[in-house]
Amino acid sequence: MATATSSYIPLAERSIWSDVQPIPQDDAPDALVPIMYSQEYKDAMDYFRAVSARKEYSDRALELTESILRMNASHYTVWGYRMTTLLVLKKELNEELELMNSFARENLKSYQVWHHRLLLLTHISPEHPTEEIDYIHESLLPDAKNYHTWAYLHWLYSHFSSLGRISEKEWSEELRWCEEMIRVDGRNNSAWGWRWFLRISRPGAEGIKDDGKEEIEYTLRAIHRIPHNVSAWNYLRGSLKYLKKPLTPLLPAILPYTEREDVTITAKEETNLPMPSNPLPRDTPLPISYALEFLAESYQEQGLSIEAAAVYTELSEKYDRMRSAYWAYRAKRCVV
Amino acid sequence: MSEQSEVDEMEQEHVPAKQKTFKKNAHIAYFTRCLKALPSQAEGQDGNRITIAFFCLSALDLLGQLHTFSEEQRKGWIEWIWRLQSSSGGFRGSTCMDIPDENQPGHLPSTYTALMCLGILRAPLDRLDVVALGKFLRSCQAADGSFSPTPIHDDSPLTSRFENDLRMTYCASVIQYLINVNIDISSAQRLIHRCRTWEGGYASKPGVIESQEGGTTYCAIASLSLFSSNSESIDIEGVYEEMKMVEQEATLRWALQRQIGGFQGRPGKLEDVCYSFWIGATIHILGHPQLIDSLSDLSFLLSAQSPLGGFGKDPEAYPDPYHSYLALAAISLSHPDLGLLSLDPRLNVSNDTADYLMKEMKRIRTKI
Ligand SMILES: [Zn+2]
Repeated sequence: MATATSSYIPLAERSIWSDVQPIPQDDAPDALVPIMYSQEYKDAMDYFRAVSARKEYSDRALELTESILRMNASHYTVWGYRMTTLLVLKKELNEELELMNSFARENLKSYQVWHHRLLLLTHISPEHPTEEIDYIHESLLPDAKNYHTWAYLHWLYSHFSSLGRISEKEWSEELRWCEEMIRVDGRNNSAWGWRWFLRISRPGAEGIKDDGKEEIEYTLRAIHRIPHNVSAWNYLRGSLKYLKKPLTPLLPAILPYTEREDVTITAKEETNLPMPSNPLPRDTPLPISYALEFLAESYQEQGLSIEAAAVYTELSEKYDRMRSAYWAYRAKRCVV
Repeated sequence: MSEQSEVDEMEQEHVPAKQKTFKKNAHIAYFTRCLKALPSQAEGQDGNRITIAFFCLSALDLLGQLHTFSEEQRKGWIEWIWRLQSSSGGFRGSTCMDIPDENQPGHLPSTYTALMCLGILRAPLDRLDVVALGKFLRSCQAADGSFSPTPIHDDSPLTSRFENDLRMTYCASVIQYLINVNIDISSAQRLIHRCRTWEGGYASKPGVIESQEGGTTYCAIASLSLFSSNSESIDIEGVYEEMKMVEQEATLRWALQRQIGGFQGRPGKLEDVCYSFWIGATIHILGHPQLIDSLSDLSFLLSAQSPLGGFGKDPEAYPDPYHSYLALAAISLSHPDLGLLSLDPRLNVSNDTADYLMKEMKRIRTKI
């Protein structure tokens, strides 16, 4: 059989494996989606089946699993076997963690790589997970929206705080890190989600203690920095709904984005809210559909359904054509 | 051919992208090729071959091609799928870990796709071990209502809840819908509610609000719908019914806000073919398919076609079975005029296959 790497020595020719009878894959002749395995992969799997049939937990088994996982990082059975072997042989798990750093960089999107890492951390169970947190923060630099990395960061904080190993100081440092992520890229929705966890949904979160005042001001300032940022608008709506607070008192800070002359009267009340820059940055196309939706919902809140429907109709006909049918639906719903 | 000219007319008006025609024959060729052999680059999927098989078979089902394979060929495939059934219930994802005289446990997502494949191939289900399947499903459910991909052994050093997310709940809800197993449905429903995010979407797990995306929102909405269509799943605490309206409106808003031509999976991300299905189907299940701008969506989908068949995640990407199938599923839902079989948005197979599975399950259950 022709192979890409001519230097490859089949396992059968290596003395270390001479006592093992490989078990070839038993795939039916009519198998669905057969894979044209490379020689290396097929060879390694034949020996892996043999090793696992013997329940052999050895150094050579560890090496074998590593070479398979380098070819197929999502092989959950092989990962499980590797973990068992590490524990049976009482290996230094910190060394395995080191090895995983390189794996994670190459396989950011594999569940299994993160799962293995999580098991390692659970077993190592450091008194302070600081190093691991730093590592994850670093991994998010090149790929700031990676689903798995964020899910792992969430696990890390949940797990170690349930063990009482995250201090108040560490929580506030994490919040500062998160705010820096949002400052660098205000449109990173994952970072906004992390803020929600840190400020609102985690046990002991501070954000609800002042009735959401700081959250609302923080979010308004983010909107004023990037007025077309959907993440910030959604966060604002989300926190108001969560805290069961009305939208209308915030109108003064929102109205400049609606470009509507006729509602300025409502906006004249005294306010301590962070306000948009006046004039707005030149590159802000107006009106902003999120602001119009906010206005319409505020009308609904005040029982002004005809006014609300008129705003939805404008969204449908002029300002958000892709969702034309949706805004027409919203308009219809508020007058029935 | 009249069908084709209708399509062309519509496209000339509304579809300015590079690929304008729906290349049905090329797609048939693409999935037929994948079914017969995958290149060595697919080694990463070695443990999940049944799921790749599902993408190919379900695609050929939607394309109306299954009758083109001989009876003998289909029987051979069905045999292979039965080999994946575990003696402890459920199905494995592949034969790659089969060792003589040793039982490998079932795997939840593979069990869902194996059942769908059997339905697509119209296999008689007499060989399905329903009792063991029920036991398997129950052994995957954790106390908090979530599901693990493989049976839970609390004392195992390999146990964690990291993979207990809404994808698993979705697979469990389909199996539960088909065979009506005695699992804890209300705790599963409560878990889904705990995954709701401030935006109206759903996270993969409670609290993991940062990683919500189209796929998990689909899993949440489809599972809730499947659980509630089961007469035994009356929501005792009334949580679901009470919040249903408000929550559904918020989810609908979130889902429609994701359309930027095609659909993005999360705010601030680029469009990706698979979300035309995940989010499109969510909107269908919520009952408002007419609110999608389906021509913009189709335009994006067609632009991601490869000239040799299949779809990449976007126009720059190479095709893969996952995106290729979900593109067809999305097109089937919103463009019945393009000649695909109609799709059941909750089970993610053709309505014909869904009907077959329901009838066949009823038949074997009355037999027991
Ligand atoms: Zn995708």
